[in-house]
Amino acid sequence: MKKTSNDWRSHFAPGGYGVHLFPEFEKRAKDAATEVFRVKTPQEGADVVLELARSAGARKVVSVTSPLQQAAGIEAACKAAGIEFYGDRDSIAEHAPTADIGISGVEFGIAESGSVCQDVYAIESRLVSTLPPIHIVFLDSNLIVAGISDAFEIIAKVFDRGYVTLITGPSRTADIEVVLTIGVHGPIRLVVIAVDEKP
Amino acid sequence: MAEQNRNIRKEIKEKMQQEPLQVNLGKFVERYPVLRAAAMENAGDVEALREAIKKMKADTVNRIEEIADRFEAEATKRGVNVFRAANGEEVVRYILELAGRHGAKKVVKSKSMATEEIDLTRHLREHGFQVCESDMGEWIIDLAHHRPSHMVLPAIHLSRFQVSELFSKEMGREIQPDISYMIHSARDYLRKDFLNADIGITGANVGIAETGTIVLVTNEGNARFATTLPRIHVVLMGYEKLVPKITDAGLILRMLPRAATGQLLTSYTTLIGGPTPVMVQREGRWVEETREMHVILLDNNRLKAANDARFKEVYQCIRCGSCLNVCPVYGIVGGHVFGGHTYAGGIGAILTALISGMSDFEKFHELCIGCYRCTEVCPGKIDIPGLIEELRVRAVKEKGLPFITRQLFDNVMANRKVFHSLLRAASVAMKPLASGTNKTLIRHLPLFFSGLAKDRSLPAIAERPFRDRAADVIKRPENPIGRAAFFSGCTMDFVLPDTGESIVKVLQDVGYEVVFPMGQTCCGKPVSAMGDLETTRKIARINLEAFEQVQADVIISGCPTCVETLESYGELLKDDPKWRDTAAAFSAKVREFSSFVAGEYEKQGRMQKTTGGPSVTYHDSCHLKRVLGVYTEPRRLIEAAGCELREMKDPDKCCGMAGVFGLKYTELSMKILGQKMQNIKDTGAEIVACACSGCMVQIQGGLDKQVPNVRMKHVADILAESIERRKNNP
Repeated sequence: MKKTSNDWRSHFAPGGYGVHLFPEFEKRAKDAATEVFRVKTPQEGADVVLELARSAGARKVVSVTSPLQQAAGIEAACKAAGIEFYGDRDSIAEHAPTADIGISGVEFGIAESGSVCQDVYAIESRLVSTLPPIHIVFLDSNLIVAGISDAFEIIAKVFDRGYVTLITGPSRTADIEVVLTIGVHGPIRLVVIAVDEKP
Repeated sequence: MAEQNRNIRKEIKEKMQQEPLQVNLGKFVERYPVLRAAAMENAGDVEALREAIKKMKADTVNRIEEIADRFEAEATKRGVNVFRAANGEEVVRYILELAGRHGAKKVVKSKSMATEEIDLTRHLREHGFQVCESDMGEWIIDLAHHRPSHMVLPAIHLSRFQVSELFSKEMGREIQPDISYMIHSARDYLRKDFLNADIGITGANVGIAETGTIVLVTNEGNARFATTLPRIHVVLMGYEKLVPKITDAGLILRMLPRAATGQLLTSYTTLIGGPTPVMVQREGRWVEETREMHVILLDNNRLKAANDARFKEVYQCIRCGSCLNVCPVYGIVGGHVFGGHTYAGGIGAILTALISGMSDFEKFHELCIGCYRCTEVCPGKIDIPGLIEELRVRAVKEKGLPFITRQLFDNVMANRKVFHSLLRAASVAMKPLASGTNKTLIRHLPLFFSGLAKDRSLPAIAERPFRDRAADVIKRPENPIGRAAFFSGCTMDFVLPDTGESIVKVLQDVGYEVVFPMGQTCCGKPVSAMGDLETTRKIARINLEAFEQVQADVIISGCPTCVETLESYGELLKDDPKWRDTAAAFSAKVREFSSFVAGEYEKQGRMQKTTGGPSVTYHDSCHLKRVLGVYTEPRRLIEAAGCELREMKDPDKCCGMAGVFGLKYTELSMKILGQKMQNIKDTGAEIVACACSGCMVQIQGGLDKQVPNVRMKHVADILAESIERRKNNP
């Protein structure tokens, strides 16, 4: 899968990130209407996905893969639960416009703003994160940086060409009567599944 | 389209009666400062952040050609087509050719002020394109055939009911006026436009030179669609969006969402560098191809501004709209009135002048009342009111003043005797001056000449001006600690002579010998504010001559605007070899009354809270607080005078006077004054104090009609009264 960088991890400033920043990240993310689930193991993450799919009545999932998702066995879990699952590029292009859930991985979280940084150079990454009404992302809860400047320090090191988005909550607008309304063009729900254990 | 011949007063009246605008905008301007403050809580040192943004942007504009070349080279290296467009016509031609090569006719746009500026959507439609404005606010105003009335909230002037009608008509079914339902209906309805579009057109919030990258900041997700689904992506970006490095973009992003909407970051902050993959269907199969990416750098007079020593400052703008959100005038009339073809508010006036030209600017620039509130929040620290004044000066240089104003300035303002005898005549009979051929005179002279007074009684010209009383009140103290020359200003001289007396008493009480040079005249502000620096210089020379004779240690004024103007004489006359040195020495001696007296009280150990006085609420004059930086001193003096200080809501929000503005745009001025009256009333204080003679006139006028039991006093009056009390009860 095409990426802006295949090695984000080695560009984190030593001591500049860690799970100790997670509570602040979680608070800020929830303030921005993100749903946050912190789990110990990737398998528990898969349980969260299935429960979300069940409660939302989701029948079709499009997903790009990440190490955490692979460890969680998302594809097998969905199929076992009778949910249509599409994971390769062409089928994602075909099904993303009608999928109920898109699943992807993110590189890190930002405590200051409750954002997640996603490398979406690959077209399939963007399709799963833009078109379905629910977007679920897997995050390593150890990879939280403190601030927006720290995030840009990292991006400055890895970014030469590509496509990167900092996502902060679901899509929103206040364009009618200055009333905050969630769910415009992008996803109506953003769900972060933060996994403590390394895959 | 902007009207060719605008009647601003009529527009103001209409907007003030438009309920949706008043309700939505009122709600937003009320809520904005709270949201902004909450978002700044975890931003660290906000002042340091603003300074860093200002510095980075100022350094960038100083080498804008080099930065633009670098951006172009880096983007080109990565496969982007970069085009530098001199104006809108070139942009349109470029896009038409591009679309022609691909047989593309369907365009989806995300929000971009640059495309508004050149009317891109209209041009493309005239050439047979289907153009979808996908930002919700932009889509709404597109359906309504309106222009944006706010940089961030373009449809803020419409109600849910109006939007419901527009949506029902467009979608061909009834869309109930439930906001959430309307937005979700629009989401479904517009989805096909994204999926079918050939070209996605976006703006850019930042362009990064070192990697040829663009940054998009959105909440709705439409820009991500427009850069993901169509096979061609066109970016239209003004030169002012360029920064050198990725970390510079990070600096802007720490501030832009916080200042714009009170968000820590918007839902989507996207960096795109070089063409990215796109999926297209070929013979029934999905295949990955490379999206064409075009970046158009739009000049439209921006580069000319970049090379102007003063106006390159506009490059410090990050387009957050915070200046609009705190503007007292914008908060009432919105961007359709206080705005030009594309850009609204004070910054909009400047951008309009630079981009569209002076004639568009001249129609609405007067709505900037110079209260400097915007300068407290602007992330790029732009001197918006200062730049507007500079534009006025340039307009006068180019075109001269209207004939009658010219006559008036030459024959009246530049001649103290004529000016003062007119003021004296006014005390006897204000009426003849306020009618017939003298109407223009009334508009341009200090405002006590006006007759319009529905919710505000206008001050009478005093029977005995201060200059006739000076000799009675001036008493040389024994062993004075210095000599203070009093510059009264026209208002204190002819309208508030009692306050003039208080100033003298207070200065004498702290040990100064006071002198009042009789040859002094107007400080020149009403003339310089109209852009006429030549007459201002003549006035300055009259004052310099008058003060040269008295050899004072300090020159004191109780009017912040006079202080500013007197302080500027050195700069004003720097090219006049005869007066240069005198002017510089004069300006160096000028002191604002309340801060000067506070310093003396401090030295003499008198700056202590005492009791026994009335309850007082303090109004900050815009210029005293934001230009001269004085706001703690008057409060401490009030408490030292034994008064109980009760803070009002928004003590530093303009009272609506603002010189000529208060007379010309009476309804607007009265609405602003009305808010102030309410805030004063709510404190329950017996007295409202300020340290500015201009504000005193406006507030006193409002109190007379609306809150008659509260009295208006200058800090000098309060101090003089406490001195009197002390003398009587030692």
